[in-house]
Amino acid sequence: MDKFDVVVVGGGHAGVEAAYAVYRSGLSCALVTFEKSKIGQMSCNPAIGGLGKSHIVREIDAMGGIMPIATDMSGIQYRTLNTRKGDAVQALRVQCDRDLYKKAIQKILNSTSINIFEEEVEDLIVEQKSVKGVLTKNKKIYGKKTILTTGTFLNGLMYIGSEVSSGGRVGDDSAIPLSKKLYDLKLPMGRLKTGTPARVKMSTLDLSVMEEQPGETPTPFMSLAGEVKQHQDQLSCFITRTNKTTHQIISDNTHLSAMYSGNISGIGPRYCPSIEDKVFKFGHKESHQIFIEPEGIGVDLVYPNGISTSLPKKVQEDFIHTIKGMEQCEITEFGYAVEYDFVDPRTNKKTLETKYFNDFYLAGQINGTTGYEEAAAQGLVAGLNAAQAIQKKPDFILQREEAYIGVLIDDLTTHGITEPYRMFTSRAEHRLLLSQNNAEQRLLSKAFKLGIIPEERNTTFVNKEKQYAEFVKTRLDKTKILSFINKEQQTVSLDEKRSISSILARPDVDENNLIELNKEEEIFFKRASTEIKYKGYIEKQTREINKNKKQNNKKIPPSINYKKISGLSNEVVEKLTKSQPETIGSASQIEGVTPAAINLILISIKKQELEKLNA
Amino acid sequence: MSVVFALATPPAKSAICIFRVTGRGCLSKIPELAGSPLEKNKKFYLRTIKNKSGDIVDRVGIISFKGPDSYTGEDSFEVYAHGGLGVMAMLVDVFKSLGFDEAPPGEFTKRAFLNNKISLAEAEAVVDLIDSHDQGGVVLSSNTLSGDFTEKVLGFSDTINNLRVRVEGEIDFSDEGESFFDSSLPNELSLLVENFKLFVGGCLNKKNHSAKNKVMFVGPVNSGKSSVFNRLLGFERALVSEKPGTTRDLVESEIFYNEASFSISDTAGLRETDDVVESKGMQFALEQLNSVDLVVGVFDSDEGSILDRFAELSNEKKYLKVYNKTDLGHVVREGVFDCMVSAKTGEGFDGLKKLISNAFKSDISGDYMYLVRDRHIGLFQSSINHLENALLKLSEDAGLELIAEDLKLARSDLNEIMGVKMSDSLLGDIFSSFCIGK
Ligand SMILES: Cc1cc2nc3c(=O)[nH]c(=O)nc-3n(C[C@H](O)[C@H](O)[C@H](O)COP(=O)(O)OP(=O)(O)OC[C@H]3O[C@@H](n4cnc5c(N)ncnc54)[C@H](O)[C@@H]3O)c2cc1C
Ligand SMILES: Nc1nc2c(ncn2[C@@H]2O[C@H](COP(=O)(O)OP(=O)(O)OP(=O)(O)O)[C@@H](O)[C@H]2O)c(=O)[nH]1
Ligand SMILES: [Mg+2]
Repeated sequence: MDKFDVVVVGGGHAGVEAAYAVYRSGLSCALVTFEKSKIGQMSCNPAIGGLGKSHIVREIDAMGGIMPIATDMSGIQYRTLNTRKGDAVQALRVQCDRDLYKKAIQKILNSTSINIFEEEVEDLIVEQKSVKGVLTKNKKIYGKKTILTTGTFLNGLMYIGSEVSSGGRVGDDSAIPLSKKLYDLKLPMGRLKTGTPARVKMSTLDLSVMEEQPGETPTPFMSLAGEVKQHQDQLSCFITRTNKTTHQIISDNTHLSAMYSGNISGIGPRYCPSIEDKVFKFGHKESHQIFIEPEGIGVDLVYPNGISTSLPKKVQEDFIHTIKGMEQCEITEFGYAVEYDFVDPRTNKKTLETKYFNDFYLAGQINGTTGYEEAAAQGLVAGLNAAQAIQKKPDFILQREEAYIGVLIDDLTTHGITEPYRMFTSRAEHRLLLSQNNAEQRLLSKAFKLGIIPEERNTTFVNKEKQYAEFVKTRLDKTKILSFINKEQQTVSLDEKRSISSILARPDVDENNLIELNKEEEIFFKRASTEIKYKGYIEKQTREINKNKKQNNKKIPPSINYKKISGLSNEVVEKLTKSQPETIGSASQIEGVTPAAINLILISIKKQELEKLNA
Repeated sequence: MSVVFALATPPAKSAICIFRVTGRGCLSKIPELAGSPLEKNKKFYLRTIKNKSGDIVDRVGIISFKGPDSYTGEDSFEVYAHGGLGVMAMLVDVFKSLGFDEAPPGEFTKRAFLNNKISLAEAEAVVDLIDSHDQGGVVLSSNTLSGDFTEKVLGFSDTINNLRVRVEGEIDFSDEGESFFDSSLPNELSLLVENFKLFVGGCLNKKNHSAKNKVMFVGPVNSGKSSVFNRLLGFERALVSEKPGTTRDLVESEIFYNEASFSISDTAGLRETDDVVESKGMQFALEQLNSVDLVVGVFDSDEGSILDRFAELSNEKKYLKVYNKTDLGHVVREGVFDCMVSAKTGEGFDGLKKLISNAFKSDISGDYMYLVRDRHIGLFQSSINHLENALLKLSEDAGLELIAEDLKLARSDLNEIMGVKMSDSLLGDIFSSFCIGK
């Protein structure tokens, strides 16, 4: 019999991060997954980061996670998005070598004490509303906590035109018995779908007619932990476009698409539309952009990002061959749609432990999200909280104003989802506080207190913060100048000497010409400049946060019966009953819950408290 | 919520008085209150109310409104009783003996709001309606109430949303090859700011409006100010004598005319004086001038220099010149005065009253469309500030995330005015307006 502190089911991005967090918390962990060799597999496009997502990855990085390191071990093209906008909304996107990424993850895991089992989990050991471990064909694996991270595999069905096959990912099985078990446990389940494009041989493309998009130089790092010193060789991506002929073929055949034939009941993400969706819904657009992303170094394969589809193979072939530079290309694998089970994430507390079964956590795509980063973040949260609970330590919950991870978990657990959930910066109402570049300032000392990052890294961080404070004091506050160069490259003279910091606050200044800096100082300078520009907004946000903090943190007793609160509309009662928000703050986030309704809830809690006192 | 009651009519002797009762379970108390239940909802029944000791209090009419089809959304009923003060006092005792509480001011409207019967803006308008001072105010309030105001504010929210969709789209989906953002955006933003300002300019601030219409009488000593004042009041409020300098303090009272109320004050006559008490009174009167809405000069001569001096005093204020003592038959120049009266005979007073009330009517004519509260004005102002800031940041080519922030704040100020959280379907709007996704 095998016994562990934590059993993690699934070796995807959520599972890996969860197991690694448990390991770093000093506990024993079992990782049970279909195939060892596919641990850390990127099911879809081979890229990490992007808007809202790199923010998450940097947060994982500040807490010592695995994803950012594996990204740098396999990154083949780095690009910062939104460079013309401010710091809070800039994002790093890294194209990875699919194979190297997976190998990096496996290498890191192999250096830990995590026990990997190559088995299909078919059942859960449930005793009195508590999950005690998992059952595979041949094994019982016990865990004080069990974390399910089965991704798109639960009763996964893949569609190409009218062909349907079982599987969570091409070349993989589907987890059918486990899905059945979750239905048996009466967890609130639903179906979602997503899709992926065909893969094409790079050597059969005419890249010379496409626009080349090289990576950024100097090549940045996703992880700021300093563990990866050397990048892989860097490659370019290419851009091509669909055209009228492409669209004609697609619209002539839309009815043959699995998504349009009515076979799929699951809801797909609106921000990840298939090419047939794009052509159908935005008929006026004559052309759509396609990114040709290399799958890896020395790999004769590309991922044509932008033409995800579930059209029949023949149609896929036809329309792809109309695209500039792809006329002669050879398709190695066809695009498909996958439909899978998910569990309504409102089932979970903010620790990602389910409300209905103790010691049972859900993380990753099973909670209705999509994307590697979103999955990894949940894995980290579930893993840490399982470890904290075992050690009888407090829950680890990040607030919405502290991290994108806080936004993600709160959104999922209080609002639930209506389509596969992906992070966007606009989901974070405190966006200006949450830059990908200040994740360490926000989270590193928290992680250090949890004991999940090495002492050395914390020391480096603390020293750097000291240096920064010193830099601001001596170089920016004390250095005074009499003139500066404005954005029009004219010299502006001042009537008296002013500090660099006060000049940085001016909208017309061209920062690049302000002072001579060495490399290290440049990062500090940029940071200071952002802090100065955001200052007013951030002060306002902070005031707002503090104002609402007390009320927002007020706990709603689980015994609350919304039906009994007179004055709440049926719609509001239904929504609140379904999501069972843990705090007033979460309740007020729910759509349709008015300030008046919040008052009523507060009054009713108050009344309950008074009644208890009097009893 | 507990059962509360309130007197819905003024607490004064009148033909009839109405009590309203609301709260869960109040209908089940009707048999105890009035002997038997009311068979039908929303039907008027005659019943006798007795007090605890069995004495008849009054023969009354009762009508019940089952929730949620009532003003508050809860079970409610109304009692129509005879309007004597004694009956009212006894009814209050009866209600209290049934365990009903006296409702604090605004409680009924508050409950209506909490039960989603009316929006916050509308709830406030009802309160305005109740303590509105004149007909004009009532008209304005019901404009707010009708939802017209709500619609206007929602319109501005929508426009802000449209701008946000593009700005947020440009931030979150900049690598999608869509153009969210073009040169029309600053123009649209400044158009919005203009329209919004016009709208806010058309909102009459409730505080200014429902402050009593203040009228102050000024004039040279002994011109008959106190006499005119008394005549308007209809009783002797201020001292009158032939001795110049009789009035030394400000004397205030209230008059009602044409469903409007005015606060009028009589002042010490102005002259060069060495009497300390009187000069103090005059000084005080001069200070008060700033807070009044209408200055009425009372004169008993048409001497140009005197008239000029008072015209100067009242400088920016609305100013009426009244000639008193027409009964004496002195000849005055044509067109110098707005109105000719005699406090002694009452001649010309109808005209004077009309002039006074007209002086206020013009305040709330056409230009002012909505009656809003301080809270609204503050939030509108803040919303406009954010929009203007966004415009400024756009022109400075500052980070788009800051413009987005200002737009978001401008929008949330409007949310607060409506007292509801308008569903934020921003992402959905982006997806339906632009082709996004790889
Ligand atoms: C076809 C397809 C298209 C996609 N398209 C996009 C996209 O366009 N954009 C985007 O952002 N994301 C996309 N994704 C999603 C992205 O791949 C996932 O969000 C992410 O991988 C989820 O991580 P996860 O850890 O939750 O699950 P996964 O990475 O799916 O990992 C699940 C793991 O659990 C294991 N497992 C499952 N069941 C069992 C069991 N019973 N016993 C043992 N092991 C089990 C599996 O072997 C696998 O290792 C797509 C995924 C697929 C499959
Ligand atoms: N004939 C006549 N006498 C009047 C009239 N109005 C006032 N008087 C007389 O004028 C004198 C002064 O009247 P007041 O009302 O005290 O005048 P006032 O302007 O208040 O005087 P001060 O308070 O002293 O400044 C009194 O003797 C009144 O009786 C009027 O219309 N006709
Ligand atoms: Mg007088």
